[in-house]
Order: sequence, then structure tokens, then C-alpha cells
Amino acid sequence: MAEPKRRMDPYDRIGFRSVLTPEGVCMGTSIKVSVGDKLPLFVRDGTVEHWNRFAAVNDEFAAHHWDPEVAKEEGFPAPFCMAPLQLAFFHAMLRDWTGEDGRIVSVAAKLKGPFFKGQTLTGLACITEINVINGEKHVNLELSQTDETNRTIATGTAQVALSDD
Amino acid sequence: MKATPEMTAIVGKTMRESISHPVTVSDIRKWAIAVYYPQDPPPLFWDENYAVTTKYGGIVAPEEFNPFAWVTQKPSMTDPKVPQTAFSEHELGVEPPEYKAMLLTEIRESYGPTRIRPGDVIRSTVRISDYFERDGRMGHMLYTTLSNEWRNQNDEWIRTTESVFARY
Repeated sequence: MAEPKRRMDPYDRIGFRSVLTPEGVCMGTSIKVSVGDKLPLFVRDGTVEHWNRFAAVNDEFAAHHWDPEVAKEEGFPAPFCMAPLQLAFFHAMLRDWTGEDGRIVSVAAKLKGPFFKGQTLTGLACITEINVINGEKHVNLELSQTDETNRTIATGTAQVALSDD
Repeated sequence: MKATPEMTAIVGKTMRESISHPVTVSDIRKWAIAVYYPQDPPPLFWDENYAVTTKYGGIVAPEEFNPFAWVTQKPSMTDPKVPQTAFSEHELGVEPPEYKAMLLTEIRESYGPTRIRPGDVIRSTVRISDYFERDGRMGHMLYTTLSNEWRNQNDEWIRTTESVFARY
């Protein structure tokens, strides 16, 4: 009998070498953080149902986001997600982790390739540096988004300020 | 492709200014629902009874919320349309270089401690902050950094977005 396929840890896929600390990453009023900690994954399927909702609030109706024929004419195999929504996913991932104790100071992203309809996006983040500035814990993170084929969709960095309880 | 002296001379000058209509709770709720779909967004973005118990004292907008979608006070509905996701030196009366394509390659967001709340009116000021050249996959490319600063009605800094466009 063939050995069942194991899904590779997305963090291993993109080469984060860090190990989760024993206390891990936790939400709540006091977030324990260490350099090397990895945030919970942020996963979204690429669906027109989702992108239509974002188009409606961002007034963003370029046809290559929903019409396969237009996407094909422009050289893409399928409709693809709006860049601002991909950027919003990085923000949502950070907020999911910090809850209301965190303040996003910055998010930067380089767009490496489209996130196509029917694919699954996985957002990842790893803590790279921690500094205390004016009584706040400022946490620097390395960000990445990949699809289910390990293709990198976006990379980036972020800084989040945490209340130092 | 190079930046001409006329292009370099407009670096730092205001290219475009927009003023939002007052932000509504409904705007914030719908934005959060759209971003978090198919999950429910955090109650801070939609539940007034909950939000009043938090350190924010009420509903605030997600950091990436866009108050300029659909229609603004300035430019108004009837003013000439200006694309919000692109730019041209023509907006400052300067002839841009000829190019085959323009791509958005990088976005950098910085946020101040003040959050957008219902009732806020946000002012956006767009400037070209930098030109630089680099060889890329598509040949020699001219990169332009567009800086977009947002302030609220109290002149508190909300956010600065730096968008890097490549032309070739």
C-alpha cells in the first residue's frame, strides 16, 4: 500500500528555519513573542464570490478579476485577485494574531505573481526582530504568500507595535 | 528610458488631492466583511456595543480601509475621472516618457497611531517622491515612487502609501 502523501509544512516550503517557542504564539491581552516565532497561517480560496465582495467595497471592477476571456486575452490563464485584497490579507493575518493589543505600524509587499481563481492562498509570517520603542514592543516580521503549488505570490515585511503589559 | 529634467523638477510637488465623504459605520462594516469573507470579521469593525468596551471606545476601520472608493467630495462625481491605481506626469503638465507598459511592483504602507473612525473626513495628497532606473526582466526600466499621504479632519496623520511603478 502506498504511503499516504503528507502535506509539507508551508513554513518549511518557503525556508523559514525558525522553531516555535514553547509558549508559542498566543492571542489575548499579553502576547508572548520571540524572534523566530511563526504566526498562524492565513488561508483563503480564490473565489469570485470573495472577489466580488471586495470589488463592491473598493469600486474595483477590472474585468481580468472576474472574466476568464479577458484574463486570457491579457495573457493570464485565469482571472486573478486584486492586489489591494492581497495586501489586506497580510493586514488581516497580523490582526488575527494580535487581536486588539496590536497596532500595525507598517506593511510592505512585493507582488511576485497573480493569485488565480481556484487557487488557495496561504499567508505566512515569521518574527525577525523585537525592539522596545517608547514603551511599546515593536515586532518586525517577514511575510509571504504562496499558492498550493509552492509558487510565491507575494513577499514582504511588516512592523507591529504591541502593548507591553 | 530616463527621467527628463522636467520630470525630475516635479518630484515632491502635489500631483493630486482628494477629500473623502464622511466615513460611515456601514462603509467600515462592509469593508471588513469583504476582506474577511468567508469568515466573520472581528467585532471591533461591526459591533458598536462591543467596540465601545474596547480601548478604542467605538468602531474603528481596518488599517487598509479605503474611504475614497466610488465617490469623493473632491473630485466630485461630475469632475473628470482620474485613475486611482495609476498616474501620469500629465497631471502636472509634464510630458511622460513613451513606454509600452506600466506595472505596480511594490506597495509600502505606514500607519500613524490614529485610526479612521465613523464621521472622519480623509484628505489624500499624492506626490511623485522618487525616480530611479534599474535593469529588469523586461529590459531597462524606469521606476517611479508615488507617495500618497492621508490625514483626517484634525490634520492627524493616518497613513502613507508608497507605490512603486515600473515603466518599460
